[in-house]
Amino acid sequence: MNMISTDRNAAPVIEVREVSRGFPDGDGGWITAVDRVTLGFQSGEVTALLGPNGAGKTTLIDMLLGLSAPESGTIVVAGTAPRTAVREGRIGALLQTGGLLPDLTVKETVRMIAALYRDHAPVEEVMETAGLTDFAARRVGKCSGGQQQRLKFALALLPRPAIIVLDEPTTGMDVTARHEFWERMRAQAETGTTVIFATHYLEEAEQFARRTVLMHRGRVIADGPTAEVQRKAGAANVTVTWSPTEDDLAALPRIASAERRGGQITFRTEDADALARHLLTATTAHSIAVRPASLEEAFMLLTDGVRADGQDGADGVAAPVAPAERPATTEGASR
Amino acid sequence: MNLATYIAMDFWRNFRNAGNTFFIVVLPAILFLFFGVNMDNTDLAVGHGNVSAWIMIGMATYGAITATTALAGSAAVEIQQGWGRQLALTALPHGGFVLAKTLIALGMAVLPVAVLNVLALVTTAQMPPLTWLASAALTLLGSVPFALYGLAVGLLFRSDAAVGAASGVVVVLAFFGNAFNPMAGVLLDIGRFTPMYGPVALARYPLMEGEIVGTSGPVGTDPLWGILLNVVAWSVVFALACLLLQRRRTARQ
Repeated sequence: MNMISTDRNAAPVIEVREVSRGFPDGDGGWITAVDRVTLGFQSGEVTALLGPNGAGKTTLIDMLLGLSAPESGTIVVAGTAPRTAVREGRIGALLQTGGLLPDLTVKETVRMIAALYRDHAPVEEVMETAGLTDFAARRVGKCSGGQQQRLKFALALLPRPAIIVLDEPTTGMDVTARHEFWERMRAQAETGTTVIFATHYLEEAEQFARRTVLMHRGRVIADGPTAEVQRKAGAANVTVTWSPTEDDLAALPRIASAERRGGQITFRTEDADALARHLLTATTAHSIAVRPASLEEAFMLLTDGVRADGQDGADGVAAPVAPAERPATTEGASR
Repeated sequence: MNLATYIAMDFWRNFRNAGNTFFIVVLPAILFLFFGVNMDNTDLAVGHGNVSAWIMIGMATYGAITATTALAGSAAVEIQQGWGRQLALTALPHGGFVLAKTLIALGMAVLPVAVLNVLALVTTAQMPPLTWLASAALTLLGSVPFALYGLAVGLLFRSDAAVGAASGVVVVLAFFGNAFNPMAGVLLDIGRFTPMYGPVALARYPLMEGEIVGTSGPVGTDPLWGILLNVVAWSVVFALACLLLQRRRTARQ
């Protein structure tokens, strides 16, 4: 278990092939939460599953854990069916919300769940690793959100899993707790554990994952080294005071869109540095402000790009839609 | 895997829930000591025993039914609030949760039956030994359908407060079920059709053989088939409610 596999040609420890899954949206319609996703995860790899709410992350994770079954497609975890892998303790997970009994103490919770594994790490050891010893006797209902997440992390470690899946693990944590959590996770990953975590924070992917899978509306829209994906998703809004001519505008590098408001003009770009350099050196624009685009905006940009390339959009499934027009999030529906 | 550890710890968690345990064990015990011991008429003979035994059986049935209602209801709430997902990440097989909760609910239901029968034995109640045993066993048996009642409420409202209210409703049902005070006249005519009447009459059957007593003597007789019909009919009603609610829940996911 302590081996770090660096063999890229080895069979993936998780194989997701052409997997789809949808839900009724409550209005008689149907939401395709995960849409023909194909992914492989290598042993020892740390991957971020990045996407806004409703991207299908939780639905995909539920299927990796055998909590729900794909409508079509196959998933193989550690060479077997997800449910079997879970039962054999090869995959552990930290689920998103709920999932704890408020009237148990922290230690009782770990002991109770430990009793349900055929073979588990010592309770004390797991509590030490997850940092629970300071509040072991506290009722779960009285723990902070961050403490509850740490408890769930401990539960995920109990079966000594070779694969750990974390669904938005830092929800409810303040900055310090978040930092500390990722330190613990990093230590865990260094033992060779395969880690897959869902997040909608670009920074978490950037700081922790070597690989990032970008999901949007049920589709994988980018997959690769985090830095590369980050550059793609790293859109920004650049605002300047300027009154350009059409020719001025045509000369601007890397512009996705422009919007005039009074004397100000806001550009959306995927390369803020290049645009800012050009604006300040080659034009009369001044009073520049650069604001990183939200992930949601970045996704709009990316999906626009996908459609413009002609690779998609024919079936309309992944066509960009303004966030407000979207039906209830698929992640809500999966709970 | 050690399911026994899980069951013991979950039993202890439920047992130390003071609200539950008070209504399941303490309240019926106090009510019995108050109304069933050393009142004017408690040593009067009824059926094969005395009034004290008659009152004790009603109280024990109330406690046992409160236990199965509360435990099954909170199990439904637990599952839906995400604990079920946590358990699904362990080696606990399908059905393991149901087995655990069934044993815990029965364990909690045994508590009032045991406590009240022992209290009755050491105070003023009188019954032949076999009647004691048969009546205690039937008390437990009659409490089982109410697990379906608790489950239905848990599925419908998904909150501990609703399950608490459902256990509270058991008090009202117990009155109409003839558990506390001997009914007669219109109340008895109505009460016969309410869900606790069957279990209470069934638990008292070894003692009374269906005879109904009012405050001033016998007021009629229930045939055994009538008592069983009540139990079976309400079991079916509760089971159907659970099935419908479960289907609604699955459809929504």
